[in-house]
Order: sequence, then C-alpha cells, then structure tokens
Amino acid sequence: MLEVQNVSFCYKPGEYAVNNVSFTVSGGEFVAIAGRNGSGKTTVTRLIMALLKPAGGRILLDGNDAASLKTAAIARQVGYVFQNPDRQIFRDTVTREIAYGPEQLGFSPAEVERAVDAAMAVTGLTELAGAYPRTLSKGQKQRVAIASALAMEPRMLILDEPTSGQDAKEKLRLLELFTRLNAKGMAIILVTHDMELLGRFTRRVIVMAEGGKVFDGPPARLFAADLDVKEWGLREPAAVRVARKLRELGVPAAALPKQLAGCAAAEGAE
Amino acid sequence: MAKVAPLTKIVFTVIVSLWAMLLESPQALAALVAGEALLFAAARVPAASYKAFGSLGFFAALLVGMQYALGASLEFSIAIGLRMVAMTGSFILLFAATRIQDLTAALVRQLKVPQEYAFMFTATLRFIPDFFAEIKAVQEAQACRGYCFGGSLIKRLKNYLTIVQPLVLRAITRSETMAMSLELRGFGRGVTGGYGTSIGLAGADYLALAGMAIGTVAIGLVRFSF
Repeated sequence: MLEVQNVSFCYKPGEYAVNNVSFTVSGGEFVAIAGRNGSGKTTVTRLIMALLKPAGGRILLDGNDAASLKTAAIARQVGYVFQNPDRQIFRDTVTREIAYGPEQLGFSPAEVERAVDAAMAVTGLTELAGAYPRTLSKGQKQRVAIASALAMEPRMLILDEPTSGQDAKEKLRLLELFTRLNAKGMAIILVTHDMELLGRFTRRVIVMAEGGKVFDGPPARLFAADLDVKEWGLREPAAVRVARKLRELGVPAAALPKQLAGCAAAEGAE
Repeated sequence: MAKVAPLTKIVFTVIVSLWAMLLESPQALAALVAGEALLFAAARVPAASYKAFGSLGFFAALLVGMQYALGASLEFSIAIGLRMVAMTGSFILLFAATRIQDLTAALVRQLKVPQEYAFMFTATLRFIPDFFAEIKAVQEAQACRGYCFGGSLIKRLKNYLTIVQPLVLRAITRSETMAMSLELRGFGRGVTGGYGTSIGLAGADYLALAGMAIGTVAIGLVRFSF
C-alpha cells in the first residue's frame, strides 16, 4: 500500500510545488492523477520514487518511509515509466534493454530471461525482441519502457503522461495494456491530462491544482454538473459535454444513446 | 554590466586573462580576484553564477594543494590558484552578464568571426545547461530501473556507461534535428544580419576600454621593468 501523508515540497523556498497532499493507493487500484501543467502531479510521483525528498510529511510504501529508501530499492516495488523513453534506452536490442532492470536487481540469468519474456509477452513486444530500440516508433519505445519496468516485477506502476505524442491507436493500445495489468492485480497510477482516457479507463481520479489536492473520487463524480473542472485547468470529455448539452436541450437521461449512458450517469451523480 | 556592450565584455574577459598571466605576486592576483568579486556583486547575474564563482574557491584550493604537494613554493602555488580563479571567473562573468544572442552578434558583426564558427561557439554554450539537465533526467530514469552509483571504481565506471550512452545518443539526435531545423530556416546562406539586437559601443564602453588599455600598459611596464 502507498500512503502519501501531508506531503509538501518546494523547488524554490516558499513556493510550494506540492502543498500538504495526502492520499492512499491500495493494491489493484487504477488511479489517475490529473491537473494542468505545473499543478504538482509529476512532482508527487517523483516524491513517491524518492527522486525528490519531501520538505514536509512522509510517504510510506508498505509502512516503510520512502525518503529513507534509495530509488533503486523502491523500483523493486514501484515501476516508474517516464514520459520520454529515449532518456533510458541504451542497449542494442529490445531484449537486452528490458533485461537491464532485473539484472540490476540481482536476478539470476534464468530469472532475468523469464521476467523479460513475460514482460515482452504482456506488452506485445515479443516479435521485436531483436530489434534496435532506438529505431522503434514512439509507441513501441514507450512499450519497451513499460516492459523494462514490468520486468522488475513491481506491484505498482506509475506512468507519467505515457500517451503524450501517441496516435489514437497506440493510445488505446497502451490503455488496454494498463487495464490488463490492473486486472491482474497491479496498482496503476496514471499521470495525465487526457480527460477522454481518464473518463473511460480509470476508476478513481485525483486532481491537483496549484500544488494541492482538490478532488479525489470517481470520474463520474468529477464530471458531475456541480463541479467546474475548468477552474482546475481541465475539460470534460467530449461525451460528457454532448450529454450535458442534450440534457440542457431537454432530452431525458433515459433517452440518451447507449454510448452516452455513462456520461448521463455522471450528469446524474449530483 | 548590462549597460556595457558585449564587445567590451569580451575584451574585458581577454584582458583579465592577460593580466592574470602578467601578474606574478599573490597580492596583486588577490587584488585582481577581489576586483572581479566586486564586479560580480555589482552585476545582476543569476544566482547560479554566484554559486559557480564561489565554487571556484574549492578548485583553487585543490590546485594550490596539488602544486604545493608536488614541490612548488607556497607563494607560487597560491599565485597559480588565484590565477585560475581570475581567468575562469572572468569567463563566468561574461557568460552570466551577456545574452547569448548578443555575444553571437558581437562575434559576427564586430569581431568578424565567420557566422558558422560564432554560431557553433554559442550553440555549445547554450547546450551546457541543457546537457546538465539531461544528465539529471537520465540518471533519474536509470535509478528507476535499479541503477545505483556505488561499488568499486571499475563498477562505477561500468555503471556510468548506462548514463553516458543514452546521453550521447540523444545528443546526436538533437544535433541532427538542430542542423535540419537551421537549414530549413536558411542558415548558412552567408547572411550575417538579422540578430535584431543593438550592440554598438557607447560612452561607458569607450571609458572601460580606455581603462583596460591603461591598466594593461601599466601592468606590462611594471612586469617587464623590474
């Protein structure tokens, strides 16, 4: 279990990038952290990985204070996938690239092979095992980065804007992968400002604004009519906007097309 | 410093380096470093530049210690350390107090350095802070994959390859992208104008240049007369 308790952090003295934020993430959850650029969402995840040390509060991973652990030790429990996979890719084949993490953790050669094969299978990279990672498409590189994290066999995966710059097909493919991983019991924390994906795939949303947590609940509640998400730099998914407009025009929720039923539920959440 | 033209600052950097080479006594070199420190205090430069100037003290102490340990006299060792601070400090001041595009404009329009070379020089300068940011980002990415900077020297060097390789590969990609982007914007057609910045010398510059000339003559006279 991940517990973020009253955590604060400043990049500059007196200017809080994260201010007194608390939340917990249990095993098997699928959580999105959303917010406009500079809202502190990525900073929170960097604090979880001990890439930054909190100025106040603490982060517990299964009861252990993350600040007292090295990032490499946390990576055994929490996989982290950066927005830009080019910053980590350095080996000559996809297989060897994915093997780096388990090798660093001291897995035996047989364990490395098993972990790499499993990670490639789940991310759909088996056919690209011998390919040079730098020549892959952005989506494929992102999957190599995800497989690299999975090969370390973590129980939680944090993904920082994994779908940015990807085409619609690759976005969907990635989100389906996260859903599959989550169905197998892995907790997923997705940092994103893509409201369409957030509304469709996640079950809980934490919204950050100006360093603080301003919302924590299901997407349906986030898009309820009594909340103005624009205030937090977000925009409802198109389906929610369509459903809202239709309701304004007097169309009853029951009469809405099936595809908008969930959005009508969001509308009716208040 | 903002009121002085980039050319004056370039000349100042060269002159301070010249003075540092001409001056021999630790007292005179200490006075030169003190003068530079005063200029740093007066110039409104980013905080990181003050830090950089301050950290020169550490390297100077290291240099003095090494020289002394290798058999040089204490006076000579201190002079070497101060000389290094004076010369390096003047460059830090130049880069902290001058916009890169002004520096490029001065090199091309006033010092007649070919545009390609001037651009290469300034592009390298721009690249340094990016490079350090990139090192940090790559280190963090690899730390999340179990990278740990520890163990024996050989293990550390071997491990460091995991940082260096992505850095080099990314640097190559970036340079290729930059080259293409420049070509697409007409770079290399021999047109040297268009910097859109005023770099002409004014009264303060002539005064500063005259002061530097007098100083250089005076130091030269003292150095070669006795």
